[in-house]
Amino acid sequence: MLADYSDMPSRSLIRRFFDLPLRRKLILSFLAVISFGGIITLVIGTRIEHRTIFSLAESKVRNDLAAAWMVYNEKLNGIRDVVRLSAAREFLPEFFRTGGRDEAAKRLDAIRREYGLDILTLTDAQGRVALRARRPEAFGEDRSGDLFVQRALRKETPAGTSIVPRTLLLEEAPDLAERAYFQFVETPKAAARPGDHEENGMLLQATAPVMDGGGALIGALYGGVLINRNYEIVDRVKDIVFRGEKYKGQDIGTVTIFQGDLRVSTNVLDAQGQRAVGTRVSREVERAVLVDGGRWVGPAFVVREWHITAYEPIKDIDGRIIGMLYVGTLEWPFLDLRNRVMATFAGLAGLCAGFLLVLLWLASATITRPLLNMVKATDTIAKGDLNHRVEIGSHDETGQLAAAFNRMTESLAQANENLAQWGRMLEKRVEERTRELRETQDALVQSQKLASLGKMAAGVAHEINNPLTSITINAHLLLEDRGPDDADRDALTLIAEETGRCAQIVKGLLEFARQTPSEASDADINDIVERTIQLLDKQASVRNVKIIKDLDKSLPLIVIDKNKIQQVVSNLVINACEAMPDGGTLTIVTSPSDDRRQIVLRVADTGVGIPKANMDLLFDPFFTTKSHGTGLGLAVSYGIVHQRGGTIDVESEVGKGSTFTVKLPLEETAPDKKPAKDQP
Amino acid sequence: MTEQTPKKILVVDDEINVCKSIRRALMCDEYEIDMATGGEEALRKEAEKHYDVILVDLMMPGLSGIDLLRSLKGQRSRAQIIMMTGYPSTKTSLHTMQLGAFDYLPKPFVPSEIRNVVIRALEAGRAEE
Repeated sequence: MLADYSDMPSRSLIRRFFDLPLRRKLILSFLAVISFGGIITLVIGTRIEHRTIFSLAESKVRNDLAAAWMVYNEKLNGIRDVVRLSAAREFLPEFFRTGGRDEAAKRLDAIRREYGLDILTLTDAQGRVALRARRPEAFGEDRSGDLFVQRALRKETPAGTSIVPRTLLLEEAPDLAERAYFQFVETPKAAARPGDHEENGMLLQATAPVMDGGGALIGALYGGVLINRNYEIVDRVKDIVFRGEKYKGQDIGTVTIFQGDLRVSTNVLDAQGQRAVGTRVSREVERAVLVDGGRWVGPAFVVREWHITAYEPIKDIDGRIIGMLYVGTLEWPFLDLRNRVMATFAGLAGLCAGFLLVLLWLASATITRPLLNMVKATDTIAKGDLNHRVEIGSHDETGQLAAAFNRMTESLAQANENLAQWGRMLEKRVEERTRELRETQDALVQSQKLASLGKMAAGVAHEINNPLTSITINAHLLLEDRGPDDADRDALTLIAEETGRCAQIVKGLLEFARQTPSEASDADINDIVERTIQLLDKQASVRNVKIIKDLDKSLPLIVIDKNKIQQVVSNLVINACEAMPDGGTLTIVTSPSDDRRQIVLRVADTGVGIPKANMDLLFDPFFTTKSHGTGLGLAVSYGIVHQRGGTIDVESEVGKGSTFTVKLPLEETAPDKKPAKDQP
Repeated sequence: MTEQTPKKILVVDDEINVCKSIRRALMCDEYEIDMATGGEEALRKEAEKHYDVILVDLMMPGLSGIDLLRSLKGQRSRAQIIMMTGYPSTKTSLHTMQLGAFDYLPKPFVPSEIRNVVIRALEAGRAEE
């Protein structure tokens, strides 16, 4: 049993594919391969490309971070230099010696302003605040617990970053405390943290010992820059590292200094285009950098966008992690780059595929066109044009197929021709046989008619002749007895004459019945015709019939019974004359047949013609349309011609005339019937 | 010249009417005409009377005209025999002439024809004597 696939969608899809034209199948297969390969290549390519671009980006970010550190440290060193140099100024020992607080404070603040420091404060050798550049009135506070101060008092010049409590900021300058204060701005990815603000500050600071002229330690000078809301470092890094590079109106690179997880100095902008200070770092980065103390490099969500980032912890001089330095570049320019590369790649691949498709389309045509041609040719041939040939375009398999196809068609045409020829031959043979059969049958019927008629004629003739004899004799005897004026004489004459006619009829009958064997000899048919016409010429001219002769003098002699053929000719001529009661033209022609194996005698008249209905009866004995005549003339002629192995035919058109054609074979063939019996 | 004895003529035909008609056609003082309607009768009458001329129909029931001719010739009859037939043919005419018939006369015929034949037959018979 055959499976019915129609109700199985997948099978039917496959089947539908196989039912597609060859060319479409090729293209579809090619498309499938290309698409499959293309998609895989694209996916893998995208991955590789992505990885390459991003690893490049990450290493760049790493370098950028190193550059950022350089700027950061340079700033720190700068502060240290300023502090160290300031510590060596003359007016500081002098302040210790002579006082003059206001004057000293003024000079200290001038230095502070000149070098851009937020804090510049002098302590004495015990670490107590002696002079503040910005608040000369606030002094005496013990700062000896401060690590920087302690180290300066040991004649070191330490520099570093540290977290400064709000109280100290308030001491140094109230506006610094204000600058340091941040209310947290919530961002989606920041870690949860107790409290909602930061009040401490982050300070880049350095401390240097202050000595008198003799080299004795008399105090320490510390100075620093509050990083909170101070954008000098981050913007400098941005200028140096990224050179203000923008992508679609947006700064690519961003730099941030974190105090803990809080952005205190940054050029990352928030949605309003403001520096996103007060926001906090994402949870993952916090854990990796602040908790674990490691470096973070990779994509990170910064404020409101993905960046490729590098974070490193900022430590104080004790090595505690107090913040982070961050450098990042926007991720989407890289994604754009990647996408552009991939798009270019995909576009190129698509272009190649398209080009290949066109090539394949054209190439497939060389396969499908011959096939289509062959399909067309098959149709044409099926419609009967066996001479149609397929054009052989190439020497490949399709070419061979076309050649084989042509050979097949040729054989088919040959076979068809043979068949047709055979059919024609058969038809012709059947026709011939049918005609022969009909002729034989006709002849047989005619001969049977004649034979039985012969017998009958003999009997009738004999039987009638006896009473005719009595009548004839007695009629004549009575006539002999009557005088010329006798009243009965006319009647008796009529009897005698009519009896005579009866005798003639019976004689004709007997002539017809008595078909004696022919006494054949070489004869010239033209002679016979001439002689017959001579005998009948007078009769014809009386009837106003003109006789035209067209006799072929080159006719060979023919073996015939002259008397009988003469009888035939005279019968035909008499018949023709009688068919033209008002006169006309009688044409008598002799000629050889086309194959020169027969002699043809034609007798044509311009008479009344023979109605179709009478055509079949024409050669029957006793058939006559004349008021007189026995109706035996044509029957006897027929008998004679057939006995000789010839044929006699008639063509006629009513009102135009008739033509009788007698054909006599030159080589006498055996008569197809026996002559009627002679013997009573 | 004494009165000539009438010439004896026998007409043989199976149809009596034909016999009678022929007798009427030939009837005259010089002829003595008998009739026979069969071959046997004819032979009998010839044996009695020795005719000068015998007219014989070719086709008759019983003894046919040919048989009669043969018998008569076999008996060396001196009669001239004229054959008559309603169905004349070359074959029978030749045959009868070979058997010794004087003439062969197709039926029907007019009185003058039969008279002329008989006269010629009688002349021939006289010449033979």
